[in-house]
Amino acid sequence: MSPAGEPPYVIIVGGGKVGYHLARHLIERDYEVTLVEKDAVRAEWIEHQLGTVSVMVGDGDEMAFLATTGIERASAVIGTTGDDEDNLIVCQLAKTKFSVPRTIARVNNPHNVAVFKALGVDAPVSATEVLMGLIEAELASELVRGVAVKASGACLVDLALPAVSGFVGKPVAEISLPKGGIIVCIVRGGRPVVPAPETVVEAGDELVVFSQLTDVAALGEAVARG
Amino acid sequence: MKVIIVGCGRVGARLAKQLDAEGHQVTVVDQLVSAFNRLGRDFGGNMIVGNCIDEAVLRRAGVEKADCFVSVTNGDNRNLMAAQIAQRFFKVPRVITRLYDPIRQSVYREMGLETFCPTSLGADLVRDYFLTGVNRGHETADDPSTVGAS
Repeated sequence: MSPAGEPPYVIIVGGGKVGYHLARHLIERDYEVTLVEKDAVRAEWIEHQLGTVSVMVGDGDEMAFLATTGIERASAVIGTTGDDEDNLIVCQLAKTKFSVPRTIARVNNPHNVAVFKALGVDAPVSATEVLMGLIEAELASELVRGVAVKASGACLVDLALPAVSGFVGKPVAEISLPKGGIIVCIVRGGRPVVPAPETVVEAGDELVVFSQLTDVAALGEAVARG
Repeated sequence: MKVIIVGCGRVGARLAKQLDAEGHQVTVVDQLVSAFNRLGRDFGGNMIVGNCIDEAVLRRAGVEKADCFVSVTNGDNRNLMAAQIAQRFFKVPRVITRLYDPIRQSVYREMGLETFCPTSLGADLVRDYFLTGVNRGHETADDPSTVGAS
């Protein structure tokens, strides 16, 4: 770890879109950053854009090269290339040969998240997985439709809980819905359950909610967020 | 033996043909269909088109029941990742991988992976010939496609 007072030192391997923007973001937050990029032309471009960052041209998976980056004082090494195998090997070398406290890898194929964890990467991050979660939540809020109760301005809404919903595991009493929405029924395994305040919402449940027509979109967002 | 070979280049294809001719159950994985041309018409094993560092592809190749696994694609890191998935994730009893980089070889050998390095093998071979006049490079078996063809 870096001594107190000094900015944390981070090495980013891979100067593609992800690596470049990450470097820029971390510099703005006062990290000390070295970016490693194989392609000399790309490296020069990045150096020109960012000014203050140190860009090194080389192979992030070459031991001899890594040793020249000051890796032994780095608090984190981040593999951001577009190739999972390269990100994995960089992290493994950083961990086993240079005792870097934290290794973070971009995982391009979401199947590989579990593999990365099993093979010792501290934090595998799958952009695809994150994106899928967000899109699923968006989709859920888009798909919410209310059935109007006469012309009263009120409606009944059937909310299918997305897998990422924060409602799952909470008792009904702790679930806050926009402006006085009321859960009137939980459909569980195709059967209706009359909710008591202590009834815990489970994954796969559908909630039937009494609400104002104007709040339907907000309801969808509430479900996605939890 | 049930053997999985990832990478159907010269080494992968040659090994696959040899083991197949010896009666082993061989599955070859490569990203390119055209790579399987190297196996020739007589090859009786399985061919799987796919990415060898995707566990779903390895499952399809039968990694869960494999006795032996070798990664000989043309990328060291790819070989290392595939071999580690086979060894640590799927517990294949015998796993070996090719690495061109001798430094990476020593690192991963320490981490418990079986490896071989054509770079050091080749350099040693030449050095021995220079020093002793004996060329061990001629000691290899005949090409399996010509075995028994006489």
